[in-house]
Amino acid sequence: MELALCNHSSYPRIGDDPEHQLLRRTLAQHDKGEKTEEAVRAAQDRMTELALAEQTEAGLDLVTDGQIRWADPISHLAGKLSGVRVNGLVRFFDTNFYFRQPVAQGRPERREPLLLEEFKFAQEKSARPVKAVLTGPYTLARFSVGENGGSGSFEKMLEGYTAALAAEIAALAAAGATVIQIEEPALLKYPEDFPRFEQCLSALAMSKDSSQLALAIYFGDPAALYDQLQTLPVDILGLDFTYSPGLVDRVISSGTARILMLGLVDGRNTRLEDPAATTRQLEKLARGAGLNRAYLSPSCGLEYLPRDRARQKLKQLAVIRNTFLGSPS
Amino acid sequence: MSRAKLRGLGIDLPLFPVTSVGSFPKPDFLLKARADYANNRIRRGALEKAERQATEFWIRKQEELGVDVLVDGEMYRGDMVAYFAESLEGFEEGGLVRSYGNRYYHKPIITGEIHWDEPITLEWWKYARGITSKPLKGMLTGPYTIMDWSFVEYYPDRRTACLALAKELRNEVEALIAEGAKIIQIDEPAISVRPEELPVAIEATHIMTDGLPAYFISHICYGAFENIYPGMLDLPVDNFDLEMSNSGLDMLELFKRRSYTKDISFGVVDSHSHLIEDDPTVEQRLRQALEVLPKEAVWVDPDCGLKTRTVDEAIAKMQAVVNGAKALRAVTSDK
Repeated sequence: MELALCNHSSYPRIGDDPEHQLLRRTLAQHDKGEKTEEAVRAAQDRMTELALAEQTEAGLDLVTDGQIRWADPISHLAGKLSGVRVNGLVRFFDTNFYFRQPVAQGRPERREPLLLEEFKFAQEKSARPVKAVLTGPYTLARFSVGENGGSGSFEKMLEGYTAALAAEIAALAAAGATVIQIEEPALLKYPEDFPRFEQCLSALAMSKDSSQLALAIYFGDPAALYDQLQTLPVDILGLDFTYSPGLVDRVISSGTARILMLGLVDGRNTRLEDPAATTRQLEKLARGAGLNRAYLSPSCGLEYLPRDRARQKLKQLAVIRNTFLGSPS
Repeated sequence: MSRAKLRGLGIDLPLFPVTSVGSFPKPDFLLKARADYANNRIRRGALEKAERQATEFWIRKQEELGVDVLVDGEMYRGDMVAYFAESLEGFEEGGLVRSYGNRYYHKPIITGEIHWDEPITLEWWKYARGITSKPLKGMLTGPYTIMDWSFVEYYPDRRTACLALAKELRNEVEALIAEGAKIIQIDEPAISVRPEELPVAIEATHIMTDGLPAYFISHICYGAFENIYPGMLDLPVDNFDLEMSNSGLDMLELFKRRSYTKDISFGVVDSHSHLIEDDPTVEQRLRQALEVLPKEAVWVDPDCGLKTRTVDEAIAKMQAVVNGAKALRAVTSDK
């Protein structure tokens, strides 16, 4: 099996040494009026370059910009759309991380690119191909509230977010993104909504042009939805294996028509995976599901870990691959 | 039933007892002392003196306001999990992780066997107890929340780590009881985010409380209560301290569908808003509570700890809570 290494999405934008506190320091000074927007952008650029370099140094084949500029996975995108304002803090799934909740006054509309410039910057600075990562429309809509409530709010928000992200995907594809990842952790909380979710994904897939569309599902057990996920019009399917002891067997039992992004390395805990144990899982998957090609990745974004541990996790991906390639199978 | 338990413990409270969730804002002099201590400008003793002054400030303030069951205000704590992690064997301070926006904290890592060596909160409880004659809650962060807000490296899984914490933290509960604490609050704000782990939290709480002579309260906030109700009623505590106002009292609808069977510390002011609720608003919230809950079961407090408010805001919010309780007492029979 050909096994490529990739980052999932986010990467810590802070560390414990002064160099890695540049962005925090600059933002705090900006809040006091002591630094300009340009200084903040320069700090974001610098921290993005460091994140890219650490991923490359760890041996990854496909990197991300680390989402260094993102305030959170929801408001960074939704807050740039017209018809949306950003409100108070809400817990992000079962993490101890909080996002600012979007409040939509009708249908969100994209008036300007959301991530295009960030992607172009990362692509220019990176020695490896950069994966563009977008929080998906379903998750954005689930974490938003309508200004006036009412039963029509969710549908309108979902339509608006889907159209906005479809346009962004088209722009990213035109800018040369080879892989565009849509993150949809909310699907696992509302599996009964799969038909509606499928419509959203289909709309996004129409915009991808020649780029590969990846769907990342995490923060829950996807085993029950696995067969349905296989019907979606995506090229790559990213799965979080940390919530489900039975997911390996589920994948083997159904096989896959998609390239799998195997989230076997826990992005939520500092404990390093045993390379031998993870290799056994990889061997089982490769043999049982007949995988010819896969990505090995963390189970989710790495921003939930301290920087030193996140870096170790990336390096562990390479250790696991080496163990796997050196194994008898 | 729990009122009888309180009387059995020697505590007689009025109808609608007023309390607070635990934390109050640190006065400016304490913030300065903490900054000075962090920068090695003052010694530990000077910081502790400021912490004692701040504790006394809040004890006096609660007495003046007419609060019935007091807290020490947690002037000596920073983060509610890190404070305990720093005092238990088996934890290391982890690197910085983000909590939101441009805010970060050191998330503890469980790297060894957890062990309670000596009391963690007891000296502060004793200090506060020594300067008031009112009932005073013993306060600790619960094992499920400490586990959930830490990285678990040493133990094979989350349940094992949580139960190990519970076993050790029981020593803290026993130490508080041995010194005379009758009401003990176990804060478990993380309990509602993974409904499938509620049985673990229940098992851990049994370890903490079984057979011990105290009235137990559990504070839960910021979660999807609909996912753990009514299962949460199996937690072996006497009183749930719940964030009610921030969610528009929507928990009352759950209580209508399935009876609520414990005492409740009913949050009548939003701890995360600068706006000070007026008296009619608080009274109305309490009246709505009484449409669903028996009056003997209702305590009154803010939604959550008030440490993120200013000192003036916290006092004004506590005044609104006291006013609401007094107004309802005046029109409600205790018979």
